[in-house]
Amino acid sequence: MIFSELDIAPAGDRHLLATIGDDASLESNFVALSFTAALDKAAIDGLCDLVPSYNSVLIQYDFDRVSYADLSIELAKIYQTIPSAADLEIESRLVKIPVLYLDPWTKACIDDYRLRIAERDYDPEFVARINHLGGPEDVVARHSGCEQWVVTVSSFPGLPILRPLDPDCALLSPKYNPPRTWTPVGSIGVGGASTSIYTIPSPGGYNLIGRTPAPVWDPSRSLSAFRDSAILLRASDRVRFTPISRDEYDEVRERVRNGSYSYSIEPGVFSTRAAQRHAATALERATGMKS
Amino acid sequence: MSVTVLKPGLETTVQEYPGRRNMLRDGVPPSGPLDDWSFRLANLLVGNEAGAAALECQFLGPTLRFDAPALISVCGGDLSATLDGAPLPLWTGVKVLAGQTLSFGAPRLGARAYVAIAGGVDAPPVMGSRATYVTASLGGIDGGPLKAGQIIPIGEPALAARPGRVARTDRRPPIPSSKAHRISVVPGPKNDWITAAGCERFYGATWKLTSRSNRVGFRIEGGGIEFSRKAFEKDPENGDHPSNIIDIGYPIGGINWAGESPIILMHDCITLGGFIIPFTVPSGEFWKLAQMKPWETIHFFPTLVEDAQQARRKIDAVCSPGAIEG
Repeated sequence: MIFSELDIAPAGDRHLLATIGDDASLESNFVALSFTAALDKAAIDGLCDLVPSYNSVLIQYDFDRVSYADLSIELAKIYQTIPSAADLEIESRLVKIPVLYLDPWTKACIDDYRLRIAERDYDPEFVARINHLGGPEDVVARHSGCEQWVVTVSSFPGLPILRPLDPDCALLSPKYNPPRTWTPVGSIGVGGASTSIYTIPSPGGYNLIGRTPAPVWDPSRSLSAFRDSAILLRASDRVRFTPISRDEYDEVRERVRNGSYSYSIEPGVFSTRAAQRHAATALERATGMKS
Repeated sequence: MSVTVLKPGLETTVQEYPGRRNMLRDGVPPSGPLDDWSFRLANLLVGNEAGAAALECQFLGPTLRFDAPALISVCGGDLSATLDGAPLPLWTGVKVLAGQTLSFGAPRLGARAYVAIAGGVDAPPVMGSRATYVTASLGGIDGGPLKAGQIIPIGEPALAARPGRVARTDRRPPIPSSKAHRISVVPGPKNDWITAAGCERFYGATWKLTSRSNRVGFRIEGGGIEFSRKAFEKDPENGDHPSNIIDIGYPIGGINWAGESPIILMHDCITLGGFIIPFTVPSGEFWKLAQMKPWETIHFFPTLVEDAQQARRKIDAVCSPGAIEG
């Protein structure tokens, strides 16, 4: 459910949490990100930083420039200008990320976990079984089969959390318990209903299904795509994961190393109405019925 | 001018205040000194800008050799600082000769000491700050804590820098010798997921800081809460456990109910996650947390947003050149 009034709660002396709904649907995130874009545009004095998530925005503010009460009023006002979820137009780039699925490095990481921490199936087989699919190849087909929506970029530097825009490509899986103690940079994981790209060597809970040679976090800013920022992906971008071979992986990695790699990035606008029409057509095709 | 690290101490890091600003959105926490009060006084004592890059020492400080004459100050916890073996006065600008060695012994009071050197640590800023963020290897000296053998470059001291100046006693953080601490919290952002009785349980409990505490988070144990119906009757996407929520941006100071015991999110924390935060420690209380040792106790008590902001303003006002005399 999307709230008609913005829910605002304090989070200490310098932050507040603005919540727009109570579920993790894509619709809620479209509204949360439209609200975020409206806040960026409004450039409220004293508003310092924003962390949009599925259905909320954490806001950091300078209380010497704007009070909690005044900021709350301003936020509530801006929230009322956001159109309904069905009528949103959101700036959204389409970024292609090459992936070597079922790669040897995440396999080695899973093997290490099995050896040191707990017995478990090979992650792509586990995800296939949980989703009643034939095998790892079907997991790959779903993961690379549609555009994935960047819900938020957070938790670790540059780390995107994505959801498939086409429900037919959904993959659901429980996360590791206990979590992994390390994960190779560039690993592609799925967990819950989301997918992600690991940006730094870190612990993790997502099931690993592949690895990209193209960084989405580059603090050295050596590649042209990072000219303005160390972060490649932004909330409300769309990502198309593109399967590549081992040879292509090595080639991309070499071009990343020598600084010549360039990403496929197309600017665009995501329209919730067009997406809905598209989904309805797909449903018609699938069921053979007109609704 | 430079300083050679003879012994690194326990995760001694270069920090800068306020650290990386406005990058939570990119998943980058602010980092910076945990006790920014002591940190800023240390810098002012040696003529630096209050936020200049300086060293944060925890429990076991480093051993440092000065390769040229310098003006330094050590503020914060009393970690038994000595200069060539002689006790070094805290809260004081001290002249150091070339070749002299600063070292630390057993922690006597508090947990973190700050070493400021006139001119400041001259490491390259990374993403807008010299503050070290160890998790992602950003800032500081090569992105990590100090290592033996490293050379710490020091900048040009300000012309006004001179030894013998002291931080006024009434302007220093009152680091207590007591092992029992009272720390305020602002209820929220998710305190409606806790019953009224659960809140009372939280405030009534004697919490203990555990040894599993670092710049990412301070784990506490000994008390509990009680979840309200909201925590159980929620959209399944929140997760199975009552403490699971749909991921939210995490505020520094948030008391994060992760698994078996809560974690207070500190300056190097993750910026987003899926555990409930019913209470948040305001920034004006961080110096108290920073100076706590494991197994000391905390009683939390509620405060209002405006009062927490007023407390913060008072500390900021104290951290000004007026705090220094002589």
